[in-house]
Amino acid sequence: MEYLLNQIVNGISQGAIYALMAIGYSVVVGVTGLITFTHGEVIMIGAFASFYIFQYIGNNLILGIIASFIASWILGMFIYYVCYDRFFEAPSHISLICTIGASMLIRNLAQIYFGPNQKPMLNIIDNKVYRIGVLQVSLMQIVILITVVVLASILAFFINNTRWGIMLRAVSQDKKAAYLMGINVRKTAMIGNCIGCGLAGIAGLLISIYYQTLQATMGGSLGMKAFSSSVLGGLTDTRYSALGGLAIGLIENLGITISTASFRDIFAFGFLITVLIIRPEGFASRKGAKSQ
Amino acid sequence: MKVLLEAKNVSKHFGGLKAVDNVDMVIYEGDIFGIIGPNGAGKTTFFNLCSGVFPVTGGEIYFNGENITNLRPDIIAKKGMARTFQNIKLFNYMSVLENIKIGFHIHSRTRMWDAILHTSVYKRDEKLAEEKGMEIIERVGLKDYKDILAGNLPYGMQRMVEIARALALDPKLLLLDEPAAGMNPNETMALMEFIKKLNHEGYTIAVIEHDMKFVMNTCNRIMVLNFGKKICEGDPEYVRSNKEVNEAYFGKGIVVQGGTM
Repeated sequence: MEYLLNQIVNGISQGAIYALMAIGYSVVVGVTGLITFTHGEVIMIGAFASFYIFQYIGNNLILGIIASFIASWILGMFIYYVCYDRFFEAPSHISLICTIGASMLIRNLAQIYFGPNQKPMLNIIDNKVYRIGVLQVSLMQIVILITVVVLASILAFFINNTRWGIMLRAVSQDKKAAYLMGINVRKTAMIGNCIGCGLAGIAGLLISIYYQTLQATMGGSLGMKAFSSSVLGGLTDTRYSALGGLAIGLIENLGITISTASFRDIFAFGFLITVLIIRPEGFASRKGAKSQ
Repeated sequence: MKVLLEAKNVSKHFGGLKAVDNVDMVIYEGDIFGIIGPNGAGKTTFFNLCSGVFPVTGGEIYFNGENITNLRPDIIAKKGMARTFQNIKLFNYMSVLENIKIGFHIHSRTRMWDAILHTSVYKRDEKLAEEKGMEIIERVGLKDYKDILAGNLPYGMQRMVEIARALALDPKLLLLDEPAAGMNPNETMALMEFIKKLNHEGYTIAVIEHDMKFVMNTCNRIMVLNFGKKICEGDPEYVRSNKEVNEAYFGKGIVVQGGTM
């Protein structure tokens, strides 16, 4: 019982990281209206950016978060210009294939420049463990949860209350109408894409702190988990994506209590398949970000 | 009278199809300019060329004395040309008020950090957008519906929201693409009055419409397109009596030769 409760705590904190990735994913898909497979690589670049910052500048979490955000923002710009900018009018599979290619390119370049081996992430948060009754919560888990909640609230505020957020929503709902309302659709779509990528980069930083390792090929399964989480919200709804992330984190950690840790991914992708069978269009009733 | 929008020899070809073929047009300030023609005559394509949705194949378009040929749609919108669509394009998952507030953002001087830090510039702009948005909503009579998602409104009201959103841009020229389509006769009457009222308030309006009563009663000048070509231009009386226009709409009378038939 004690073990189970602690696995729930682990599941929530890991799920929070997945949730942040999934929120980023649904922002990207929502604004561009096109599916991306570069998300895992964005996550990886975010992790490496903070890794080098911690190594060469110092153990400062805030600085690491800013570095991850900026690095993945820049990668997001690259991805936008390569994969989306000229393909809004084209059939959507063209940009999809383009993102697959870009993801391979980025992953292999990363293996060349960062090396193919696992690297140990520096321990930048104290290994303090708090006990609340039978529960054990580490300081790291608390920091992760706070970071995710703060970032998600900032994003929610930005999207719902600022005029930039309204522009993003307008672009995601109807690009043509947005254009004729004087919105620079391309610039707005790029900023939306970069915001999503920036969040993913920070999630990459958090997950590499959580596992204390990082690797140039880490993006593959993480990107797929972000995708699986946002399927719950029909790929475009940020709230359901966050829920999906939490669900996957919980299912993974509860699943390995009844089996072994190497089966982790089976539970995550089993969740994806289950959702796709039960409700392929996602649980969010809105379908605002259809590209047509 | 001052020329507001001028098209010189404008053409648009889709492959071999000449959707718009060498059309000249002048809209003066204060006009209610009607564009009519049978289905597929190129009316909407012509609007799309003026508002920058498609690049032109040939010719030039001047707005307010400035060459706007092939500029991006958002830039043209900022210069003061707003439009509505034949098939309504609202932001369906936003409330009516939010839809209209979008129109104000181009007049906003808010920068990203203003929004994040909630500076006075941001607050003033936000308040202004709210107030002006409400003002427009009241003018078009949608006050009771301001918080409803635009996609849930009935068709006729969605059209009014679209017009209201275009008005929020504070345009010099308003392009309306079949504003009365799908409206019942009462709504059409109300729309006619509303368009005339807007015209009195100083808006120049260009309108595509199939409802002849609507066009003949509101417009002061009318252009007729058929197969992409301009076949007639003038005041309603002149257009009504024009032979080519009648032929375009009703077909040629059968020319009797040799006494048969």
